[in-house]
Amino acid sequence: MTNPEYLSGHGRSLLDRRKFLGTAGLSTMGLALAGLLDDDGLLAKEPAAAGGVAPIRPNIDANNPYATRPSHFNVPAKQVLVIYCPGAVSHVDTFDYKPELSKLDGKKPPGMPAVTFEGPTGNIAKPFWDFKPRGETGKMVSDLLPNLGQQVDDFCFFHALSTDTSAHPQGENFINTGFTMEGFPSFGAWVTYALGTENQELPAFVAINDPRGLARSGKNNFGNGFLPAAFQGTDFTAMNPPNNLQRPDLVSPEADRRTVDLLQRLNARHLQKYPGDANLAGRIASYELAGKMQTSVPDVMDLSGETEATLQAYGVEGGSELRGQYARNCILARRLLEKGVRVVQLFNGSDPSGGNGVTNWDSHSKIAKTHAMQAEIMDQPTAALIADMKQRGLLDHTLVVWATEFGRMPFLQANGTGRDHNPGAFTCFLAGAGVKKGFSYGESDEFGFKAAVNKTTVYDFNATLLHLMGLDHERLTYYHNGLERRLTNVHGHVVTDVLA
Amino acid sequence: MVSNVDSVVILSGPSGSFVTEPIIAIMNSLRLKFLIASAIFCVSAVANSKEVQFVRDIAPILEERCWHCHGEDEQESELRLDRRAHMLAGGGSGFAAVVPGKPEQSYLIEVVNHVDQEMAMPPDEAKIPNAEIELLTQWIKQGAIWPGQMEAVAKEKSNHWSFQPIVRPDVPLVDNGSTNPIDAFLGRSLAGRKLDFSESADPRTLVRRASIVLTGLAPTPAESASFLKSSTQNREQAYADLVDRLLESPHFGERWAQHWLDVIRWAETNGSESNMYRKNAWIYRDYVIRAFNADKPYNEFMTEQIAGDTMGQGDATGYLVSGSHVPVATVGQEPSARRQARADRMDEILQTVAASAMGITIGCARCHNHKFDPISIQDYYSMSAVFQDIEFGSRFPELSEDHPRRVRGMELYRQIALLHEQLKKMGSWEENWTGYKELHLPTTKTSKVRITFNWNGVRLDELEIFGPTDQRRNLALASNGAQAFSPPEMAVVRAQLRKVNDGHYGTEGWGCKVAAKSKRKPFIEFTFQKPEEVNRIRLSTNREDFLETDYLEGLNRFNFGGYRVEAQDDNGEWKPVGSTMNFDTLNKKHPERIAHMTRLQELIEQVSEEGPTPSFVARFINPVTTHVLGRGSPESPREEVPPAGLQELEGDLGLPKNAAGRTRRQAFAQWITQKSNPLTPRVAANRIWHHVFGRGIVTTTSDFGAAGAIPTHPELLDWLAAEMMDPLVIDPASENVATAWSMKHMIRLMVMSQAFRQSSQPREDGMVADPDTALLWRFPPKRLEAEVIRDSILQASGSLGSTIGGRSYRIHNVKKRYSQWQVVNNFGSSTWRRMIYQERMRRVDDQMFTAFDFPDCGQVRARRPISTTPLQALNLMNSSFVMQQSKLIAERAVQETGSDQNKAIHRCFELVLGRVPTASELAACSTVAAADNLDLVCRALINTNEFAFLP
Repeated sequence: MTNPEYLSGHGRSLLDRRKFLGTAGLSTMGLALAGLLDDDGLLAKEPAAAGGVAPIRPNIDANNPYATRPSHFNVPAKQVLVIYCPGAVSHVDTFDYKPELSKLDGKKPPGMPAVTFEGPTGNIAKPFWDFKPRGETGKMVSDLLPNLGQQVDDFCFFHALSTDTSAHPQGENFINTGFTMEGFPSFGAWVTYALGTENQELPAFVAINDPRGLARSGKNNFGNGFLPAAFQGTDFTAMNPPNNLQRPDLVSPEADRRTVDLLQRLNARHLQKYPGDANLAGRIASYELAGKMQTSVPDVMDLSGETEATLQAYGVEGGSELRGQYARNCILARRLLEKGVRVVQLFNGSDPSGGNGVTNWDSHSKIAKTHAMQAEIMDQPTAALIADMKQRGLLDHTLVVWATEFGRMPFLQANGTGRDHNPGAFTCFLAGAGVKKGFSYGESDEFGFKAAVNKTTVYDFNATLLHLMGLDHERLTYYHNGLERRLTNVHGHVVTDVLA
Repeated sequence: MVSNVDSVVILSGPSGSFVTEPIIAIMNSLRLKFLIASAIFCVSAVANSKEVQFVRDIAPILEERCWHCHGEDEQESELRLDRRAHMLAGGGSGFAAVVPGKPEQSYLIEVVNHVDQEMAMPPDEAKIPNAEIELLTQWIKQGAIWPGQMEAVAKEKSNHWSFQPIVRPDVPLVDNGSTNPIDAFLGRSLAGRKLDFSESADPRTLVRRASIVLTGLAPTPAESASFLKSSTQNREQAYADLVDRLLESPHFGERWAQHWLDVIRWAETNGSESNMYRKNAWIYRDYVIRAFNADKPYNEFMTEQIAGDTMGQGDATGYLVSGSHVPVATVGQEPSARRQARADRMDEILQTVAASAMGITIGCARCHNHKFDPISIQDYYSMSAVFQDIEFGSRFPELSEDHPRRVRGMELYRQIALLHEQLKKMGSWEENWTGYKELHLPTTKTSKVRITFNWNGVRLDELEIFGPTDQRRNLALASNGAQAFSPPEMAVVRAQLRKVNDGHYGTEGWGCKVAAKSKRKPFIEFTFQKPEEVNRIRLSTNREDFLETDYLEGLNRFNFGGYRVEAQDDNGEWKPVGSTMNFDTLNKKHPERIAHMTRLQELIEQVSEEGPTPSFVARFINPVTTHVLGRGSPESPREEVPPAGLQELEGDLGLPKNAAGRTRRQAFAQWITQKSNPLTPRVAANRIWHHVFGRGIVTTTSDFGAAGAIPTHPELLDWLAAEMMDPLVIDPASENVATAWSMKHMIRLMVMSQAFRQSSQPREDGMVADPDTALLWRFPPKRLEAEVIRDSILQASGSLGSTIGGRSYRIHNVKKRYSQWQVVNNFGSSTWRRMIYQERMRRVDDQMFTAFDFPDCGQVRARRPISTTPLQALNLMNSSFVMQQSKLIAERAVQETGSDQNKAIHRCFELVLGRVPTASELAACSTVAAADNLDLVCRALINTNEFAFLP
């Protein structure tokens, strides 16, 4: 391994102290004393991941956990943007056109359950918004999302998704971590663990939370679970920088510099006692990186250089205050991707207590009003973001994932104004690198009640996302508590039909 | 009549092809579809007169249909059908393919009948002909006779090392100047690689290392100085004394309890949607700290955590509910979702026990037999049967008379009783017990009590009336024969009267209402079956939240205001006996009453905190029958299983299927801690080793199965395990043989070894031969845990509180039911306690130490990974916590040394790093101190590698 480019001469010279060991014929990798993966090479044998194939454990250097690592196979996607819509977007009111619902409006056909998640069920309700054909492909999309509707020719829809739970936090956990339970690494953490990142001066994985706060599963959605903390999403938005990024107000820039210099001297002296210790050198390097982040993060957050046309296209002004804030987050997402950040996860919705009137896509009552309020925030900025990425060429090497945790029922709840959770069928879409354009995979039944054709589990969906990132979901593993853990547990098949 | 006492289903007789309704019901309940039943009974009608012969009738079917995938060459799903014994044992599913005599229990028959489309055999094909199914069925029914194979047994004992009995190995004879057996074992391995221990670490390093490993705190300057001084006189004695002092320090328990809490992912919230706080869950943390400090033998420690309710250690059962759970309220209304949630909660309990005590990954066996280890799906559900009486929730823990909480409670209750005697002379009084209010009355004998409220609308989840004789008997309870009455015209919709005395707390309660200008006020009357003596009335609006949770907005509201109580006398006349509305009058009449009441309320708050209190340490429910769940789904129950441990390790507990819950847990605890169980002591000894040396002899500390690591020093591990159970080494402190299962004995042995006391500096020969330091040719340095960094900073500034145990310090808000916890203050003086006492909210970033691999408490964390990230650097450079503490350290240094800047810098080094600066360090620090201030010098010191690493 050569010394990382991002290190200063000082940092490099510290690492060079390992020379004396080099002469003993050691590779520097062997020096990881209690490295990130100190099980490596110590396990009884290379146990097969569930499924019977040998795991590919990323070779992680304790010095530099974010170093770029190769994918398992070559793919166009180098980065990924996940736009996550907590609360469950109604597929039958947005992208999954079901004319049968209009015919049966107000009726209750046989086969519909008496009780769903929140209680007794009511009658079938036609979509609350009209559907129209959009784009060259003529894909039917409702008037709720006219801006996203314009771009359907770039999208690849999954209409037969189904999940294992009808509760939000478990649903969020499932789609974002692969398990309904607490404590598993998020998709973004897995990708970061596998691939590292291109730009060492920004966090490898950024979670841009909704202006109203975290979603219901909170940090699980972008957490590291049992992976090393290095791979968790760093949490900031266009408005709020990461915690503790800036030097404290009471410390002048010069004084701050002097502290850092003093620290380096003290550490250099200490390292003489432990020549070649990778952990110590790695920690020294992390302080240099932190210093660089103190300028690179504010730079990327600074939207003042964006043109008026861009601000307008994203809808920064002219809509609700929340749309403006979300639009800024969308611009931030694009800027992060332009800088090479590996994973950006953008949230459109929070926890129920977070905001003013509507907090996420959950719509147990008055769906006509609540979905409209949420769509006003999401539609234009998201559509502008994807269009902007396309125009700047980012889609060529970035996978875009638009996701929610489950769908909503074709019938109303007994209260007559909202739709309950539907784990049996829901819609998500992909766009960008490696994905078919203007394509729809799978079908729900005539009511949008259950997946009917090409049923796609959350495991399949996540397996496909990893595949699109060049990762074999059966071989990307981390040993934890007796198991080679995977994002997809012991399940999942890549949906090859959607690959471009 | 073909029958069998063990059989659930009684098959029809030779002439009968009928099946009775109850049998269908049973079969349906076992999810064996009617389809099979009819198939079996058809067969019995047509074919049972004929004897099926294996070679002629069965072998051709198996060869044609099965052996290609389940034969000699291939064993899909680990199933072989070419040997009778393997048929009986079954494959990876865990279900016997063939149960002789019982086709309805034979998985082979189920899959060829395509009962479950997802497990239909042969796969992706039509069913095999009915005639063949009939032959197979009949063959099994006739006993599955396979000539020549009737004696064969497939079940073999595992030959995996960790399941083998522990035999204490001889200590090798190695001449390395140490009498410690640990050094003998390690020395032999080192010699095999032509290595030896490194030279001894210098005393300054040693005192820092031992202090951090044993107590989680760096030594104070005074402690270092004292050790250095005594070391110059007698190095050996000084070190032995140091170890004794550290093992006796109350901070020892705080350090080692944290290790245990990590393994079982203990936290104070539920996780999942509302992530609510678990009321008084921390009393379990106190239990663990106390257990380590008191050196509770490990076998007792385990037993109490599993069945502490039977031995006066009820707080110990917090262990069983340490994982996350989804409360019923947020599961949703669908019954299948609720069954799944209960199964998930049981799984959390099993994971805790299996990972922490047994070192096995039991979760694999939830859906099928464990792929690598001798753990069957039956084992999983038998273990689940052990814990069927456990539910996630609160109770008043059972505490022995000498339990500190009980002792304290008795003390406080005695003082309360004395005040009661005083107050009784001054009329009635009301106590606020947070979750409920209690009005004390002069003892009155009556058969009818009326409570009239001052507010126009009231809401109660329960109203209880007690008397002086049986103080716990609620006389108002409907099931005790009391009748409640309130005028129907005052009723509130959906808040029925019966809820006021049904014994259920929570959101479902009784409401009563009158119009705004009404002259009548809401009231309620209770009629007892016979005259009773009454002296207390207890009311609450939602006591369930009070019992289960805390830090919730709107908790403990009382929606009833003031009230007065009357009792009917023998003549049917209502006589006032007490009221909350005349306290002012009483105070005027008895001026000392005010002080008494203030003191009483203080005592009540104290006893609620320090005495026995409702605590989230599990609640008990009636155990239901336990079935194996096909592929882990509660919708596919199969055969019933008794409570038991692992069959591989003689886990039969000899219990009936309907044994009482506590009996099950007691028997299981006995099994898990018996000396013949090889896993428990191996796992325990290895875990201690892991925390002393930074990595276990088995590095996968919670997985001793075939997928885990093999021991680097297997004989040493077995010697340690044997020594733990049956100590032979004399304990220098008592000069006797140590107590069996003593954890302190094990720790002392390890830290007294030469291996622990050697230098951590790298050596070329060692780095070449063993770069991972697995053989311990030096002491392996490592980055400190989040807790050590934080606690040692607080200690350096002199801010660290020394109270052991108690409620967590708060860093979060009081939240709404459905919202996220927010960190509101993670640095102020109220947080200056050891970090083990920091509120532990599952999956909440504390915005400071989560970046240092502080666990999120979602999954079992047997070992923490060690990350190095720029976010750690930012937190440790720029956080309010570090800035404030830097200032405090600097102030302390100046205060202790006077105005001389160099002396102050000296002191800062001593306080943070436990040493004095070199000349060049002093010069560099002086420059910064002069240009800026001493705070920034301390900020740099806190950030050094020297501070952050265990030397």
